[in-house]
Amino acid sequence: MTRRRVEIAALFLGWFLALGFISRALFTASSSITYTRISSALHSVGRDASAVEGNMVRRARGGARRDRLKELFPNLHDPAALKNPAGLLWGAFDGGFPQSMEGFADLEQQMETTFPLVSLYQAWGDLPENQFPTSMMETIAEIGSIPIISWEPWVTTFDREVRTNLAPVERREFGSLAAIARGDYDFHIVRWAEEAAAYKKPFFIRFAHEMNDPYRYPWGPQNGNRAEDFIAAWRHVHLLFEKKGAANAIWVWSPHLSMPWLEYYYPGPDVVDWIGFGVLNYGTVASWSRWWNVDDMLERPYVPLSSFKKPMMITEFGTLPTGGDPRAWITGARVAFESRYPEVHAIVLYNQTHDDTLGGGALNWSPLAMPGTVQLLSAWMASARIR
Amino acid sequence: MLGALVILALHAVLYFFFWWFRREHVGIPVLFALLSAAMLYGVGRMLVGWYNVLFIAQPAWIAPSPAAVTAIFITATPGEPAAMFDETLAAAACITSPHTTYLLDDTRDPEIARIAERHGAVRLELIGLPGAKAGKINAALALTNEEFILVLDPDHVPHPEFLERVLGQFHDEGIGFVQVAQAYGNSERSFVAGAAAEQTYAFYGPTLQGMYGLGTSVVIGANGTFRRSALASIGGHGLGLAEDLITAIRLHAAGWRSVYVPEIVSYGRVPEDLGSFAQQQLKWSRGVWEMLLTEYPRAFSRLTPLQRLSYFMIGTYYAFGLTTAIYLAIPLLYLSFGWLPASVGPAEYLQHAAPLGLFGIFIYLFSERFLCDPTRERGFHLRGFLLKLGLWPVYLKGTLLAFLRIDVPYIATAKEARTGSFWRLARVQLIGITATLGLAANMIHERLYQLPESHVRLTTGVAWGMLSFALIHAAFASSVIYAAWRATRVKPRQAEGMTVR
Repeated sequence: MTRRRVEIAALFLGWFLALGFISRALFTASSSITYTRISSALHSVGRDASAVEGNMVRRARGGARRDRLKELFPNLHDPAALKNPAGLLWGAFDGGFPQSMEGFADLEQQMETTFPLVSLYQAWGDLPENQFPTSMMETIAEIGSIPIISWEPWVTTFDREVRTNLAPVERREFGSLAAIARGDYDFHIVRWAEEAAAYKKPFFIRFAHEMNDPYRYPWGPQNGNRAEDFIAAWRHVHLLFEKKGAANAIWVWSPHLSMPWLEYYYPGPDVVDWIGFGVLNYGTVASWSRWWNVDDMLERPYVPLSSFKKPMMITEFGTLPTGGDPRAWITGARVAFESRYPEVHAIVLYNQTHDDTLGGGALNWSPLAMPGTVQLLSAWMASARIR
Repeated sequence: MLGALVILALHAVLYFFFWWFRREHVGIPVLFALLSAAMLYGVGRMLVGWYNVLFIAQPAWIAPSPAAVTAIFITATPGEPAAMFDETLAAAACITSPHTTYLLDDTRDPEIARIAERHGAVRLELIGLPGAKAGKINAALALTNEEFILVLDPDHVPHPEFLERVLGQFHDEGIGFVQVAQAYGNSERSFVAGAAAEQTYAFYGPTLQGMYGLGTSVVIGANGTFRRSALASIGGHGLGLAEDLITAIRLHAAGWRSVYVPEIVSYGRVPEDLGSFAQQQLKWSRGVWEMLLTEYPRAFSRLTPLQRLSYFMIGTYYAFGLTTAIYLAIPLLYLSFGWLPASVGPAEYLQHAAPLGLFGIFIYLFSERFLCDPTRERGFHLRGFLLKLGLWPVYLKGTLLAFLRIDVPYIATAKEARTGSFWRLARVQLIGITATLGLAANMIHERLYQLPESHVRLTTGVAWGMLSFALIHAAFASSVIYAAWRATRVKPRQAEGMTVR
């Protein structure tokens, strides 16, 4: 009796394993096919549903956000005009992205404005949230704005069991930009670029930002990533996008202002459309930070950057209240941009209420939390619109 | 083939749950936990069910010994129609094997007495005894001495070869009881009857045959045959709302083994109107939980591991009243408060859940060849499924009553309950549908006029997905409303034949 049981158990286990291999192969093979099939079908259904609902909303409310934007910025969706901007485009990132648009909507309502640009961040990886964010992008387009994606090459989350060509996780970050340039991550870049091409509408892409800062991201110089590795990686990614027909991408090269020699990271005029950088005043929250005005941060690097003759974008704009008066900071910033930095054609508010990248307590960058700043910003935006 | 399907289905289960249980999928933790528990319960039952069908077995027919004598017990209770006894006792008289039919009677009805006499049944007047049948059966056991006892339900009409098909199994001295299949003569007479019959097909087909293969088959419903010495060893027939299950678990605990004969040797009746059906289901769910809560712990140490599992699965069957309530609450909570249990893309969900769902359906359909009457019973059993989900309040109530140890309140039999019963039968469903429609209207209004446009655009998929989820539930509920409406409009054609046991 027991021997028979052992036999049955062994037989079952054998079959379980054997069929397991087959079914695993089947599920994974069919899953990528079914996933793309199902997800593209669902996306198109979702897009149609969203369009139908959007039209209903528009009719019910007698107009839509995108109608307002079209009135204010008639050329906003023209790629050529986007690469050669005339006035000043405002935008915002909200900490609730990409799950929720409520914080963003609240910001717009309180500022009595309509942002032509919407900024979001996305890390590389295997998970669905690392794939091209179609629903978020479509939403932004539907409400009439242009998305900006900061595309962050975090390389450690890729599963080595599937991506057998990759180095072990603990060694992967060293020289990651050279590995990207070699084509190690083409599996991710190509799929993403294909979906970006399928999106068709213009969007800004900000690949591997702050690549010259050794204290920030793993793709910085501290991990043996040299300037020429960055340039090779950038050009490789750009080439793949070109090959996949993603000409709708507008390329924003984004060094960090505080590090010297940033001009050595410039990948070339043929593959860069805009220059972007953050202007964030940390005040006195950290040992390395002071109360820095826009001039303190931008005056020196503006000279080499403007030599590239590209429009400039403040990709993160904001101040903390610690160590000074945020109202004075904003007033000063407006004067500075209106008088001394004519190449700045876009400013993106950093509306993050829970920034914990510094450690030691979350920072609140939202102007909504700083009394008086909202009015100053609204007035500035309103004047920018008239120009 | 079935084995291969089951193994593939196991992989589909792993594929689903390894994906589902990820930190980033958790929305509101409490809701995620509840939804996951409901899913684990459902999939857990499927797993045990799949294991069970792998062991499907049918006993070989054995010729009964000519010396085997059987006492057939038929109970009569006041309010049951005389015509029914006429039919059943006439059929019992035609059973070929040696037997005596006893009518265990507390009706004090001279007409019933005449009917018993006409068909040669021995009438035992047993009045004021506890339990539905058990008190009378135990009293009758003391008055008789046949070796085997068949407890025949009065609304089941036996075939002449009933005992012929069953008694041979008792050649094995360790067999304590034998259950036969059940079939119903009135399953096409109303929506409720069809649904009620469909709910039993899989159980009396593949499920009980698998349980026989695993040594866990039970007496359930009606028409169990017992060895007198087996009943004697546990002090007689069990008492309670699920008397047959209590008897079965005690017999198993006492070491007796059981046989399930998957043959249709009688035709019974299912409830035809919603009131009777709901009352029957309430009693069953209350009774089955009671078995789990009181009888199961006592018997636990003396059961085989598989019997422990089996009685646990039977005992928790009616938890689906609770899980259905959870599934129902989730879209309504979203529509009311915007709470989401999980943040999962619809495409991803389909991708991971589809294999599990498909293999589940494959196995269900594949095991349908083990139905007792495949030509009649095959299919998706949609009516049964609809009514089962639609009647969740009944099952939930049964569950709560069992845990609170409250007895099932007296509800009049079908005949009396029919008038003015629409509201009573369908109120939960009516309230549910009204609430769903109200929340849906509110959601549409908010989205059209109030919410920020960007938020509306981003949430189109989840909002309308949840709304359709809620409307599907409303469709299930409307099957109950339909049945309740029929119960008020259409006179059950033979309501006099229906009693609630």
